[in-house]
Amino acid sequence: MNDLTQLDEPIEIGQSMREEIRRVSHAARARRLLISRIMTSLCALALAIAAVPLVLLLWQLIQRGAPQLTGAFFTKVPATPTLIAPNATGGLSNAIIGSIALNVYAAVMAIPIGVLVGVFLAESTSKFAGALRIIAQTMAGAPSILMGLFAFSFVLQDLHVGFSAIAGSFALAVLMLPVIVLSTEIAVLNVPNTLREAGLALGAKPHKVSLRIVLPSALTGIVTGSILAISRAIGETAPVLLVIGGGYLNSWQPLNPVSALPLSIYENAKSEWPSQRAQVWGAALLLVAFVFVLSLTARIWASRKQRVSN
Amino acid sequence: MSETQATNQQAVIERVPGHSAMQLKDVAVSFNGRVAVRDATFDIAKNRVTSLIGPSGSGKTTLLRALNRLHDLTPGAKVSGQILLEGTDIYRGDVTVTELRTRVGMVFQRPNPFPTMSIYDNVVSGLRFNGIKKKSLLDEAAETSLRSAALWDSVETRLKVAASNLSGGEQQRLCIARALAMDPEVLLMDEPTSALDPIATLKIEELMTTLKERVTIVIVTHNMQQAARISDDCAFLLMGEDRAGELIEFDTTEKIFNNPNDPRTLDYTLGRFG
Repeated sequence: MNDLTQLDEPIEIGQSMREEIRRVSHAARARRLLISRIMTSLCALALAIAAVPLVLLLWQLIQRGAPQLTGAFFTKVPATPTLIAPNATGGLSNAIIGSIALNVYAAVMAIPIGVLVGVFLAESTSKFAGALRIIAQTMAGAPSILMGLFAFSFVLQDLHVGFSAIAGSFALAVLMLPVIVLSTEIAVLNVPNTLREAGLALGAKPHKVSLRIVLPSALTGIVTGSILAISRAIGETAPVLLVIGGGYLNSWQPLNPVSALPLSIYENAKSEWPSQRAQVWGAALLLVAFVFVLSLTARIWASRKQRVSN
Repeated sequence: MSETQATNQQAVIERVPGHSAMQLKDVAVSFNGRVAVRDATFDIAKNRVTSLIGPSGSGKTTLLRALNRLHDLTPGAKVSGQILLEGTDIYRGDVTVTELRTRVGMVFQRPNPFPTMSIYDNVVSGLRFNGIKKKSLLDEAAETSLRSAALWDSVETRLKVAASNLSGGEQQRLCIARALAMDPEVLLMDEPTSALDPIATLKIEELMTTLKERVTIVIVTHNMQQAARISDDCAFLLMGEDRAGELIEFDTTEKIFNNPNDPRTLDYTLGRFG
């Protein structure tokens, strides 16, 4: 009955009504503008509060750490200060070499396994894959001391390997594994299905499609994930604390006891000598520099990925 | 354009019945028991272009993907009826799925060259997947296929460049070259020009009319003018009342567009629905 076509006269909006609309909408606009300004100020304040500790930390790190990074710091093994020479701390070359060795061995162990498991998770719909995913997600959030305990009981006690780089890198590999698995899975899932179909339609067997098409396409994501896993592992103290033995000598040998930068920080921070306590800042700065370079590399890889997919 | 139409009509007259590349007998595809397309019975004649037309949801693409068993990896997908390639049932015969796909190639809706590979590597990728490593053979196949896809002249000097540097139309012709490198008997094309501009579309259409001399083409298209322009035979599909696609009519393109048996076909080709 209320058909629009039956309205033969257009609705007239009176002058007073028009003014009313203008007045109310003007007031509403002013209110929205005010709320917007208040919220923007609050955001700026929150940012400032969050930035203060970060900037202070970085400032202290550089101010106290930079003077420690002398040639001897990189080339000499630690020495114990004496009353005659209270500043004879030597260097931390053992810890630098140890940290690099630990993480290289750990990456060599974790990356191939992690990538294969990640590809499996992405390509399989089985219940086993689902269970594996939940385990990986749980492991990714597990406290890192757990990896140290596991390496201690498995590598040291069960396999009778002494305090060694290999035991520490085992713990770090377990720590890296879930990060690599989950980032590989995401990278593989992000490969468009049309590429898989293109491969299959050319008569390729599914495993060749995975290996020759999907993996190369996902490579940038996998590399990014692996770098982030290493940058997480390199700063960890807890996993290596119980198993690497804190060796005072420079050694790349997997079966020798080694030290690591985070471990040196932990040990030297407890020292009674102010010179050794000061040296801690040099180690901390170097660690942060390592992590910074690794994250930067990961970011460059990630942006490369975006360019490729565009 | 009028020349192409004239040759098309001539081809219709010269059609040799019974000389089929593929035969479909009562083909139906279902996903988890839900029928997506059914009642598909028709012959795909050799060295002709067969188009599958119909509105969205009528099962054109689903039917096309049954022809090279691309549904195999979809859990719950089931293909019934018979699809014969040179007389052999591709689902039950002793044809392996990988061999089948080398004989029945496919070009997809969006150009999908392998982004991590160069132009050259893309073209020969199918041969490499199937174990061919000899450089001279790959080189020859690359040049022949790129020439057939009318791409050789523009990429000859940059074969090692990443395929993603090509324009959309060039990428699609690269995908055609990649499929042709396998020397397939049948080439399936799933709306190959829907992501391309009109000029790139025209190039692909011209390509199809020359390619059919050596390969049988089956094309899914939403574009009825395209079906009319380039195809010799035409299958019209429509979504039934239970939302399953079904074959309404199959005939020469000329008959489907000018004088179809089913009034629904005429309604569709005249743009009255869909």
